[in-house]
Amino acid sequence: MSPAESLKYFNPELIMTGFLLLIIVVSLWKNYKGRRLALSLIAFAGLFFTSFALIQSAGENILIFHNLYACDPFSRFFKMIFLLCGGFIVLIVFQAREIKEKHLGEFYGILLSLILGMFLLVSSSNLLMIYLSLEFVSITSYVLTGFNRNDRRSSEAALKYVIYGGVVSGIMLFGMSYFYGLFGTLEIPAIKKGLIAALSTPYEASRPGSVQAMRLTVLAASIFVFAGFGYKMAAVPFHMWCPDVYEGAPTPFTAFLSIAPKIAGLAAFCRFLLTGFFENISNFLPVTEIPWGAILGILAAATMTLGNLSAISQNNVKRLLAYSGVAHCGYILMGLSALSGEGLFAFYFYSVVYLFMNLGAFVIVIIIREKTGQENIEAYKGLGVREPFIAVSFAVFLFSLIGIPPLAGFIGKFYLFAAVIHKAQAWYYLLAIIGILNSVISLYYYARIIKAMFIEKAVDEQPLQIFSFQKLVTFVLLIPIFIFGIYWQPLAKVATFLF
Amino acid sequence: MSVGLSHFLTIGAVVFSLGLFCVITRRNAIGVLMGVELILNSANINFLAFSHFSSGTIDGHLFALFCIVLAALECAVALAIVLAVFRNFDKVIDMEQLTTLHK
Amino acid sequence: MEHAAFQQFVYLFWIPFFPLLGAVYNGLLGSALQRRLGEKWIHAPAIVFPMLSFIITIAGFVKLTGLDPHSRALYCNAWSWLHIGNLNVDIAFWMDPLGAVMAFVVTFVGTLIHIYSIGYMRNDPGYWRFFSYMNLFMFSMLILVLGDNFLMMFIGWEGVGLCSYLLIGFWYKDEKNAVAGMKAFIVNRVGDFGFIIGVFLLFWGLGFSLETFDSSSLATVTSEETHLNSSLVIREIEESLQIESVHEAFTGKKIFGFSLVTLICVCLFVGAMGKSAQIPLYVWLPDAMAGPTPVSALIHAATMVTAGVYMVARLHFLFALSPFAMTWVALFGAVTALYAATIGFFQYDIKKVLAYSTISQLGYMFIGVGVGAFSTGIFHLMTHAFFKGCLFLSAGSIIIGCHHQQDMRKMGGLKTYMPVTRWAYLMACFAIAGFPFFSGFFSKDEILWQAFNSKDMMLPGGGKIIWLLGIVGALCTSFYMFRSYFMTFTGEYSENPHHVPKESPKQMTCVLVILGFLSIFSGFVGMPHLWHVHNLFETWMEPVFESSSSLIASEGYTHTLEWMLMGISVAVAIIGAWVAGWLYKNRENPLPGKLLASKKQIIRIPYNLIYNKYYVDEIYQHTIVWLIMNLRLALDWFDRKIIDQLVDFAGTAGRWLGRFAGYTDEKGVDGAVNATSDMVIFSGLKLVTIQTGKLRNYLGVVLAGAIILVIANYLFF
Repeated sequence: MSPAESLKYFNPELIMTGFLLLIIVVSLWKNYKGRRLALSLIAFAGLFFTSFALIQSAGENILIFHNLYACDPFSRFFKMIFLLCGGFIVLIVFQAREIKEKHLGEFYGILLSLILGMFLLVSSSNLLMIYLSLEFVSITSYVLTGFNRNDRRSSEAALKYVIYGGVVSGIMLFGMSYFYGLFGTLEIPAIKKGLIAALSTPYEASRPGSVQAMRLTVLAASIFVFAGFGYKMAAVPFHMWCPDVYEGAPTPFTAFLSIAPKIAGLAAFCRFLLTGFFENISNFLPVTEIPWGAILGILAAATMTLGNLSAISQNNVKRLLAYSGVAHCGYILMGLSALSGEGLFAFYFYSVVYLFMNLGAFVIVIIIREKTGQENIEAYKGLGVREPFIAVSFAVFLFSLIGIPPLAGFIGKFYLFAAVIHKAQAWYYLLAIIGILNSVISLYYYARIIKAMFIEKAVDEQPLQIFSFQKLVTFVLLIPIFIFGIYWQPLAKVATFLF
Repeated sequence: MSVGLSHFLTIGAVVFSLGLFCVITRRNAIGVLMGVELILNSANINFLAFSHFSSGTIDGHLFALFCIVLAALECAVALAIVLAVFRNFDKVIDMEQLTTLHK
Repeated sequence: MEHAAFQQFVYLFWIPFFPLLGAVYNGLLGSALQRRLGEKWIHAPAIVFPMLSFIITIAGFVKLTGLDPHSRALYCNAWSWLHIGNLNVDIAFWMDPLGAVMAFVVTFVGTLIHIYSIGYMRNDPGYWRFFSYMNLFMFSMLILVLGDNFLMMFIGWEGVGLCSYLLIGFWYKDEKNAVAGMKAFIVNRVGDFGFIIGVFLLFWGLGFSLETFDSSSLATVTSEETHLNSSLVIREIEESLQIESVHEAFTGKKIFGFSLVTLICVCLFVGAMGKSAQIPLYVWLPDAMAGPTPVSALIHAATMVTAGVYMVARLHFLFALSPFAMTWVALFGAVTALYAATIGFFQYDIKKVLAYSTISQLGYMFIGVGVGAFSTGIFHLMTHAFFKGCLFLSAGSIIIGCHHQQDMRKMGGLKTYMPVTRWAYLMACFAIAGFPFFSGFFSKDEILWQAFNSKDMMLPGGGKIIWLLGIVGALCTSFYMFRSYFMTFTGEYSENPHHVPKESPKQMTCVLVILGFLSIFSGFVGMPHLWHVHNLFETWMEPVFESSSSLIASEGYTHTLEWMLMGISVAVAIIGAWVAGWLYKNRENPLPGKLLASKKQIIRIPYNLIYNKYYVDEIYQHTIVWLIMNLRLALDWFDRKIIDQLVDFAGTAGRWLGRFAGYTDEKGVDGAVNATSDMVIFSGLKLVTIQTGKLRNYLGVVLAGAIILVIANYLFF
């Protein structure tokens, strides 16, 4: 439909843009008391009203702006996740001194535009739109990574990120150009139609050998495009920016980065894959013979294994959580590789659970870094005695990340494994076994932190003065971990049949 | 001989490889950025070629325009970051020496 | 899940959850509250919550009486929980007469014991922990008895095991208590293993049998009901087994030559053996007396240990299908009853006497459910809860009164100092011994009669052997219970003239009076037909056990014989009491002292054997525990050999992968376990070195990865 008519479906994004601009304007005033609070409130209000508008738009399922943009339950679900993530980050940044007050307005402005970019990414149904929103997300991420201008590590991480991201999105663009060339249009469903037409017999008969060439081209182009998505979601072999960027970036942004863009990348890839390569959503008949299940399965196995094995020797908690994020992306890819309704459901479910677990873990990392200035595991020694509430919450988040019942992480992992095992084929069983072995390996490095907290003695026995607001945020994040471990029906209901 | 689609695609592929080579082998950060630009522009070449020769629509031309803008944006941000690195690392932008984050 | 014929009672959900709220309240806030505001803030909610549960139970009870006997049940489906493949389990509660009786016993006795604990645990620094754990226990036990499916029963089963561990080791600073708690937990675990195997076999077997269900044979079935799923909901299992073809398929199935039904029942009974302390898994119960006395009363007398009996009764339709399993249950019960009773002869710690008596009485309950007299077994469960609770609480009163003295040899003559306790204890003794018209008389007698009468036992002579064991056990019971009474209350108090025992505070004595009263009079609800009076209890429980009543056969002996047997058991009780009195009253008789000091082997050997509990604990220690400990050393030897070899080969992945494969073959899985973990860490350390920090390497990996993916896919697919 035309742009003018589409605008009324574009409300959430418009509201977000409005608040984004408002923050930039408000941040022009400097040096008044309560500036931090005012800016945070505006940012939070922006997210809140956007979520309100999002909930108002429930039930729509249409393509707007000349089929560039999709407003459907799938995108709404993920937009809600991003808003939740953003909201919690705003709450944390409010009291995190890593982001100084004079730059706070810019931080919020760029953060909101990052969230806006993710909105666009998850709703894009056109190659151009995907590329533009992916770049939108990436570039804002580069800026936020290098936000601590006087910190070496921040600048170095930003440089590596920008170059890596530039190259990989260039590769993706190259792949997209071949898609355009093969099918003549930028719309994703056209890929499906084009592949069906190309593989049907009359075409084959008229130009022998061309189907072979076409298959190779489509394969190469798909892998190149996957490079772009894979880089965002940190899948092997496109994950190498992850540890450096997570370690160098300001910690509140690392927290955000570890969750929202990763899920956005996965969601966008999901949409790309399912609209472009699968004839039928309800039973996943692939249009071509590109073995997406095998590709995703092998990548999932590699990602999980590499993430978990690399995390074993880490001492820096941010880096450890970066590798653990890579591993979790592997688990989700494992669920997606099942290419079934159950796999998709497991992905949606795990996104929410992962949001809370990872946010919780990072909140505590931020708190400890604030109070002790350190990011190593040594900083966590004896935390069980100094700050029992924080230590216990961290232990709960880590246990949930490992996947121990009765916490939410276990339920999420269970659904992922169930989706794979229900395929009942030999390779999928192997994948599930690799997944389970990886969960076992991950226990080691998470437990190292827990061991440091509870069994080792602290260097300094004084309790850290932690703001009660930060403790409140931690507590609020703990609640879903416990509840979803026992009573997850509501989430399951929301997450079914989103696509 | 008439210059057809395949020639443009070959040029695109060659520029892509050159860009990759540039990114991987150069030590100067600005040089690396030049390589990134090459990669992006190679895709542009492809788009324009396809749009002209195969498809009746002008989607490719539009995509190329958007890409140019995006490349410029990315360049701006990247250069700002290189500047920050320059300042923080004592006026060095040698990729070999930017290894404080590793392992 | 479809309980269309049964009434919904939404408050059922609150029966277990009120105590859970109490547990959470005390758990989170208790320590702060105890410090700042005092004990009242802790015990007030801790008592109010179980009391609310009790009120709702009574309301449920009343509602049940208003229903037609054949659909006498209330249900409450709280939320749907697991729907995975064929497995559909909800958090749902089900109260039929059996559940109502159990819930009544648990909440009533539980609330009374909570009130008692106010006095008993006064000024204990862990006051808040105690009430938190006790409420948590009530929650778990109520989940166990009211849950409508196996999964909830198992959750409750494990929960009560946990609370038992927490409460036994309550005064954990003393290592003995902690060890006793661990022993309870570990022995319980062995039983739980059997239970879970039984549940798996049941689910699997039922699924098999349902596949043979041919729905076309039923004229009235609609098209939607053509496929029934195996279920864990107990009621649905019962219904499925009543369908002819399913019944036949299920009972006919054999595994390794054993009938599936028997195997299931035996496995489930192993769980009951652990939880209800039958031979050979009873060893934890005497040690569990290390916990505070209210704990012993509630958990190890009235409620938790009866979970096994409840389970067998609840699954009556399964057990009735297998005469072998029933015989097994009854026989174990009978042997345990006699065995534990003999140990009680020579024990000196008053709580240990009561512990062995509990094991013995549980044996009686298992005799009851083993011979098919399910409602009688439950009846004995109820009366036992009252009199054993009374006995334990009186013992607690005595212990506090004698200033934490538990050795009966150092007591005596307490009847002048603690009159209320004395009368409560005496009444409960009469009840447990089976004196006429006390509550224990009706229930125990009925069990023995049903045992005598039973035709299902696969023993030569049938139930009569069980009856014989039971009667001898009753003789012993009467003897040692009255021995404990006479040693404690008669004679002179000679211990410490400065610390004279005094009667316990009001909270404790009130409860003793209530329970003593019930010990005397509660038997009248279950009077056998012999007395030409309506047996209220049996009529109430009849519809629950309807489906298996056709499978239980009885010899059908006459009433005269029944009167005779009753006379024998009364005589036995009186003889036992008289002999105990003769030997121990007022410590006048020198015979016990002389026998103890005697060096004659004919007396020493049996005495040592029985006093040391037949050396069972020592046997366990030296066989099973020794085996596990030494296996650990053997494993350690294997590990060290493996690691040394691996360190020499810090080579490439291929080389040590091959080596590793070789070693798994050679040294077995045990050595490989440690080698695996070291390999993992080692490979992790090696793998992380690809993250060099140089961007060109990162991009190289991207390129290589993309190219490999394309080429590999092209070649292989």
